[in-house]
Amino acid sequence: MAHFKSHLSRVLAALALAAAPASAFAGKANDTLTYASDVEPENVGPYHNNVREGVIIARHVFDNLIFHDLKTGKYEPQLATEWTWTDPQTLDLTIRKGVTFHNGDPLTADDVVFTLNWAVKPESKVVTKQNVAWIKSAEKIGDDKVRIHLVGPFPAAIEYLSGPVVIYPKAYFEKVGLDGFAKAPIGSGPYKVTSVVPGKGVKMEKNTNYWKGSPLGTPSLGKLEFRLIPDPETQVAELMTGGVDWIWRVPADQAKQLESVPNLSVLAAETMRVGFLQLDAQGRAPGSAPLKDVRVRQAIAHAIDRKAMVDNLVRGGARLMNSACFIDQFGCTDKGVPRYDYDPAKAKKLLAEAGYPDGFAIEFYAYREREYAEAVVGYLRAIGIKANLNYMKYAALRELARAGKVPIFYQTWASFSVADASAFTGAWFKGDEDDLTRDPKLTQLLKTADTTVETDARLKTYEEALKLVGENAYVVPLFSYSTNYAFTNELSFSAQPDELPRFFQAKWK
Amino acid sequence: MTDIAPSAADAAALDTPPPRRSPGLALLRRSLRHGGLLVGGGILFIIVAMALAAPLIAPHDPYAQDLSRRMIPPVWQVKGNWDYILGTDKLGRDYLSRLLYGARISLLIGTVTVLISGTIGTLMGVCAGYFGGKVDAVLSYIVTTRLALPVVLVALASAALVGSSLHGVIIVLGLLLWDRFAVVTRSATQQVAGGDYIAAAKAIGCSTPRLILSEILPNILNPLIVVATLEMAHAILLEAALSFLGLGVQPPLPSWGLMIAEGKQYMFFSPWVIAIPAVALVFLVLAINLLGDGLRDVTAPENRN
Amino acid sequence: MLAFTLRRLVVALSVALTVSLIAFVLLHLSGDLATSIAGPEASPAQVAQVRQEYGLDRPLTVQYLDWLWRAVHLDFGNSFYFRTTVASIIAERMPVTMTLGAISLMISLVIAVPLGIIAAVFKGTLIDRLALTFCVLGQAIPTFCLGLGLIIVFAVNLRWLPVSGTAGWMNYILPSVALGWYAVPAVMRLSRNGMLEVLSADYIRTARAKGLSPAVVVLKHALRNAIIPVVALAAVQFGFMLGGSIVVEAVFSMHGVGHLAWEAIARNDFPVVQAVVLILAAIYITLTFVADVINALLDPRMRVA
Repeated sequence: MAHFKSHLSRVLAALALAAAPASAFAGKANDTLTYASDVEPENVGPYHNNVREGVIIARHVFDNLIFHDLKTGKYEPQLATEWTWTDPQTLDLTIRKGVTFHNGDPLTADDVVFTLNWAVKPESKVVTKQNVAWIKSAEKIGDDKVRIHLVGPFPAAIEYLSGPVVIYPKAYFEKVGLDGFAKAPIGSGPYKVTSVVPGKGVKMEKNTNYWKGSPLGTPSLGKLEFRLIPDPETQVAELMTGGVDWIWRVPADQAKQLESVPNLSVLAAETMRVGFLQLDAQGRAPGSAPLKDVRVRQAIAHAIDRKAMVDNLVRGGARLMNSACFIDQFGCTDKGVPRYDYDPAKAKKLLAEAGYPDGFAIEFYAYREREYAEAVVGYLRAIGIKANLNYMKYAALRELARAGKVPIFYQTWASFSVADASAFTGAWFKGDEDDLTRDPKLTQLLKTADTTVETDARLKTYEEALKLVGENAYVVPLFSYSTNYAFTNELSFSAQPDELPRFFQAKWK
Repeated sequence: MTDIAPSAADAAALDTPPPRRSPGLALLRRSLRHGGLLVGGGILFIIVAMALAAPLIAPHDPYAQDLSRRMIPPVWQVKGNWDYILGTDKLGRDYLSRLLYGARISLLIGTVTVLISGTIGTLMGVCAGYFGGKVDAVLSYIVTTRLALPVVLVALASAALVGSSLHGVIIVLGLLLWDRFAVVTRSATQQVAGGDYIAAAKAIGCSTPRLILSEILPNILNPLIVVATLEMAHAILLEAALSFLGLGVQPPLPSWGLMIAEGKQYMFFSPWVIAIPAVALVFLVLAINLLGDGLRDVTAPENRN
Repeated sequence: MLAFTLRRLVVALSVALTVSLIAFVLLHLSGDLATSIAGPEASPAQVAQVRQEYGLDRPLTVQYLDWLWRAVHLDFGNSFYFRTTVASIIAERMPVTMTLGAISLMISLVIAVPLGIIAAVFKGTLIDRLALTFCVLGQAIPTFCLGLGLIIVFAVNLRWLPVSGTAGWMNYILPSVALGWYAVPAVMRLSRNGMLEVLSADYIRTARAKGLSPAVVVLKHALRNAIIPVVALAAVQFGFMLGGSIVVEAVFSMHGVGHLAWEAIARNDFPVVQAVVLILAAIYITLTFVADVINALLDPRMRVA
């Protein structure tokens, strides 16, 4: 019995622990915007995670050197007041004076030099290396002047400086190290982090000393709280009961139903993400021999009612895609690319011509939007192709695909938000390990297109390449994606196509 | 047996006395008087019958999708219609047909899992009970090890490992859920093996395998059937949990667990999507449990409390 | 008694060792770890570097022994995902799961024990039948369905309690009910059976014969003895609850170790999964060991087993 008693006392102790003050209700009343998402960054340090939720925190807590105005498409000064290319591999920047970090330290050229040189060191183990791999080194060439030496010519450098490359405080970071920084990061951005609890979330507070004249504007919301809620229905329930104020990636059906909830607003926006089927035209994977026949691939393209999927499943501004890229990207066109309309009878005929009148069984892999994948599987089933759906985590699936074990891959690609067709075609058709097509002629065409300076010739080459993809049905482009945001109607919030919520621009109504 | 903590169901199953061959008639009479058994058996019979007859009675192909007819509510709701009595799902597939075919999947998972786990557990239990001594010690060590493993977690990890498919789930569950079989058959075997007729059979030189097959197994059949029933319910519930956590059977297979998981998205605004498979699942598990409890009562009437 | 305790201790330790081996092997089979750690962008050279850095190029036995040696010292290595020590992550999350388990256990005891006693006292009456029906029904409802139902009713519709999270004690009520629910039938049956057994014992009959009121007999004399097996079962159920909290933590978005393990499986973060399996198993083994010893102390007949 003694054991029972001591157990009881432990339970009571635990209870007392749990009864710590409950977090106050979110919302306008206490000037706290609580937003929820289903993934948390493994490390809040912007260089040490590669998830969207991490990017959001990075943009609120840190400053970039350069600001990319999505409305005008122009690059504006942020921490750097001006910059000049002295040659294609050398960029000189002037650093703004009077900006301070959240701990009061002034932000200087030394911090910029430190951050860049630290980030390119292999032992820093930056997660997404391509974000900084173009930098060779940085040096201080004057009181407020910084020179960046590049590894080679890289016109996109400015884009990266206005995106993933943010500035760290040298003194503080050297004091606390990466682990300390992950627990209490300090930046110069419009919000400062007040608490980081892995598995739970991150709390932020308005930086009242945020420098005047920043292109990010002056923050309005007093506090931000990121809450990790992995379950989408729990997110919806929390939103409806006022536990959180803002959620995103709401499935279309739920978004539509949430529209009818009195205190909520719903916003839908198309994104650059394109869904497509990768077909193993090489027949490398076990069981994918039928895919070597172009008629089978064309049959698959004809079997899927993409319009019905866009209208009924995806919705929210999504568009049907005929070409293997996002249609608004520079160089992307569906001119001259064959249309594969929904025509199950024709699909069956093509299958029969290819020698599969009764269809065949095949493995089908997907990693997100299970219901889209399930719908495609359903369409294939209707023409006699028994596709067996395997749903996996992306990293594991990618490994499998690179090993040549995936016959049909339900892929999606957001082109890293780069508005150029090369960011799409380059990832999937240029003969590297993610390319299941491996058509040398196609690869050559794309290499030419990517390096052609003359615009018309470049466009023409892409057109030719995309036509080749379409005629051979190497992939089946499906549609662009949309994202649904749902939030309390006390909040004034607008979405941008790059899927990056900017709460520093949001306001209470 | 103290090192293997018995759950209530074990304890109850263990209550089964040294088996005797009950006269069939008396058994039948007791069964007919047992309300729970009749209700459970009745529901289960209906579910099994519907599952078997699914191809004949299902109004539509459970896999045929029509995105223009998605999310039609069931007939009792305003926008419902008689073409789709239970409505359609998010891909426009007939919910009733999927429910009927889903019964097959859930029953298949329950049955095959129990066949696998029952074979493993019974083999271990009978050996331990019959041979005793070291064999018994080894068994109790194995069972304790198995019980120490957090079953949902290990099932999840294993399902992730073997790939989540119908076969994968059945194998994982079959290899995990044999503990109760081992515990119950062990003690039942101990009771039987101590009986005079076993001693007599040994004396006349019966071989051990033959003795186990012809004398012991038939005599521990009653508690075995009881455990099998209860474990079947357990397996069905666990599969539902795995599917709910995303590592069970994969769509488009209409397992009830998966239907619940997929219907979760609609639980606030179209609760029927989740309620229909959930109610079906609860009825199935309830029926199997009632049947199991009832069987225990009627095969061991003197132990009824 | 000492010999018994030592024997149990040896069993407990060897079980723990076996569990550690299973945990290690199971998750080492989960794909090429170096590739998963290095991430999708990594080149073969980076993967090779990771392989060397994490010691993944050593023989498995060496890796196991190394891991075990550290694990005994509560050093479970670094999480591949969070890149901090597994021990610190688990220490952060354990209080949530422990609190959840403890409250769930209390809730299930508070519901089940009185129900079992009442059922036993009024054996055979409508009350008894209702209690048993409640039990069977309870067993048939999957934990996640119950959890979702509680959210719909008490959080979304009535708005009495929060939907998710671990911000305060209110957050623990719904999940604890959902988790505790599962243990109610087992505990209820056991306390009912225990009570029945005690009530038919000689000393109770004597007490009754002396003319003591039924209430006094039940509460003062019978309860104490009937409750002993329940205490042992409670210890075991607590172990099961910690293992079973994975589903409840997922439904209610609580950042306990169950949730951590679930996500770790999906992320291939195997040091975390290993550590959680091992810790939950160790807790279970310790609890059963303690329960065994207590049982043996209270009831000398148990010591022979």
